[in-house]
Parts: sequence; structure tokens; C-alpha cells
Amino acid sequence: MLLTATLLFLASVLGALALILLMPRPRKNPRVWRVLGPAGALVGVSALGMAWLVVALGTDLVEMVAEDALGLPRTAFIYYYLFSFIAVAAAVRVITHRRPVYSALWFIMVVLASAGLMLVLAAEFMAFAMVIIYGGAILVTYMFVIMLASQNEPQHEDDTPAYDRFANDPMWASVAGFLLLAILLSVYFSNNAIAANPDAAMKTDAYVIENQLANRSLNEENKELASAPSTSPDRLSNVERVGLDLFESHPLAIELAGVILLVSLIGAVVIAKTHVPNEDQVARGPAGQPKEAV
Amino acid sequence: MLAALDTLSPLALSHFLMTGAILFVLGLIGFVTRRNLIIMFLCTEMMFQGVVVSLVAFAKLHHNITGQTFVIFVLTIAAAEAALALGLVVLLFRRRRTLDAGAWSAMSG
Repeated sequence: MLLTATLLFLASVLGALALILLMPRPRKNPRVWRVLGPAGALVGVSALGMAWLVVALGTDLVEMVAEDALGLPRTAFIYYYLFSFIAVAAAVRVITHRRPVYSALWFIMVVLASAGLMLVLAAEFMAFAMVIIYGGAILVTYMFVIMLASQNEPQHEDDTPAYDRFANDPMWASVAGFLLLAILLSVYFSNNAIAANPDAAMKTDAYVIENQLANRSLNEENKELASAPSTSPDRLSNVERVGLDLFESHPLAIELAGVILLVSLIGAVVIAKTHVPNEDQVARGPAGQPKEAV
Repeated sequence: MLAALDTLSPLALSHFLMTGAILFVLGLIGFVTRRNLIIMFLCTEMMFQGVVVSLVAFAKLHHNITGQTFVIFVLTIAAAEAALALGLVVLLFRRRRTLDAGAWSAMSG
């Protein structure tokens, strides 16, 4: 276990190093940085690889490849590595890219990859809700604001504004962040594994159909569900389970979520209607007359 | 064919938690280092992503759907936050013509 902990810590250090190399910064000598950028990426990939190697060493490597050793069918295992590699690589690009538009596009990649992870975890509804709400709605809003708030289109690399070209203290932030990561990972991969809580176990589909669905008002459809062939253990789909849990167990939370959305809607309208002077123009206005900009 | 999981062993859970933790930490680092207001809020969304992956993994471990239900509320908060934060960003941009967070450092006292 000491070996695992050491390797995890080393992987975190390498990750921090890679991130420091990849962060946007003033580049006095572009030729050097053309080498250092890919070098940083290489270090990052090796850090990621090492973290995963640790995971593999923590178990028995041979056992792990065998089916069901992890409780993962083999294919799901491969998909886990694929999606989480895409997610992490895209996440690094989000925070290191100099152009906000590309950062937002890479973030869509992060969302798609983590939706893939949720598919591996058999949470189909969450995966697609993620793609629709994050990739569709929220990111489009971000794109709109980036377009609205961007200065003139940069002609070449160094035309981007200074606040996009330099990062604030990348070194200390990376060190602190990856220290947090090392601590988290050492807890996750420690000996006392997190066991499933039997008290938290979900009610079986048969129980839900007999006791919960029977009392609901949509009797026709519920009868149809209840008369489904009882041989299959999973008669309720993921969406049905989520919907039932949402409306049976959390009615107050739904109302509160509605209130939050309403308040943020009102807040957004108030913010949008606020009239602000452009301070630059106010300061430079002709003969001390403040000129209001829209 | 994408084979979804029936059960999750504690070790497999650690895998998913690791991905979630990496996403969270990268978002955290991005929030601290980047100076562009829009990127900073993008990074908070990335931290949400990490938390969501962990939540769904725990839901699978405990065979309890509430973890997934909770993701809906995370999404609600994320949407509300995006609407308000981006409104504020546009407001600040109209005032100073810059997205630099440092331009507002006077607020930190």
C-alpha cells in the first residue's frame, strides 16, 4: 500500500508539472515553448498513465483483465478508460486554451465524455439530460456571451487580450490543486474500501410495481407495466426509476428547485435591464459630460 | 456494444471517483489561475461535472437511484448559476470593456 501511495503522489506531482508547462504564460522565447508545450502534454499523459497503472497494481493486473474481476464486464472497463481519458484531456484543454471559444468547445467534449461514463454506469437518463442541458443549453449560452463580450477577432496568436495570454500563478495553483487530488486519491485507493450500504439499497422493481405504482392515478398505464412479463428482473427503465424517486421522495425539493429557477429568471431580467455607464467613456467624455453607453 | 454495469465493486467505484476528482481539481485550478471571467465560470461548471460523475458512481455502488435524482438538482443549480453569472459578466463587460477579473480587484478591498 505504501508503493501505491507513493506512485499516486508521484503521478500527482507529474500532473502538476504538466499543467504548469501547459498553462498560458508570457512567452519570451516562442521556439523554446514550441518544445515545452508538447513536453508538458507528454508529462501529463505519463502522469495519467501512472495513476492508472497504480490502479492496476492495486489489484492484480491479471485478475483485472479477466471478466467480472472488478464487477465490470470487460467492455465496460475499456469504455471507462476511453471516456475518462477523453474527459481529462479535454478538461486540461479547457483550462489551458488561450481562446475562450475553444475552451467552451473543449468543455462540450468534457460533457460528452462524462455522459459516456454515465452510460457505462447504466444511468441513461442522466447521460442524455447532461448532453441536452449542458452541451445544448448552457454551453450555447456561454458561446453567446463569449461572442457578445469579445473584442475584435484576433488576427494571429498574439492578438488575444493579455488576460487570456497569461495565467495567474499557475505554479502555486497547480501545486495546491494536485495536493488536494493526491489526498483524495489516497483516500479512494486506501485499504478500507467504501462498501455498499445495504440500508440504502433501492426497492426492487417488483415491490415498486405492486406497492407504489398501484396507488398512482395513471391506472391504465400502470396496469400495463404491472402486467409486464415477470420473468425479467428489470421491468422499470432508468427513466421510470428516476421519475418515481423524484416525485415520490423529493416533492419539496422539486418545488424549491422551481423557486430557484424563478428567482434566477427574475434576477437575470433585473441584471439585463440595469443601465450601466461605460467607465472609459465617462472618464474621457467631452468637457466633463458623462456619455452613457448602452 | 456498450455494456452497462449491473453492480459496481468498491475498486471500480474508486476508478470513477478518480475521474470525478480529476475533473473537480482541474476545474478548481482553472478557476484560480485563469483571468478571463467567462473561463472562470466555465471552470465552475467543470467542477459540477466532477461531482456529478461521483454522484452517479455512488448511486450505482449503493444501488440507490437517489444519487441520480440529485444530479437533476445539480443541473438546476448549474443552469440558474449560468444565467445569473453570465448576465453579470455581460454587465461588467459593458462597464469596463474587458473580461479581466483583475480589472475588478478593487472589490477585494
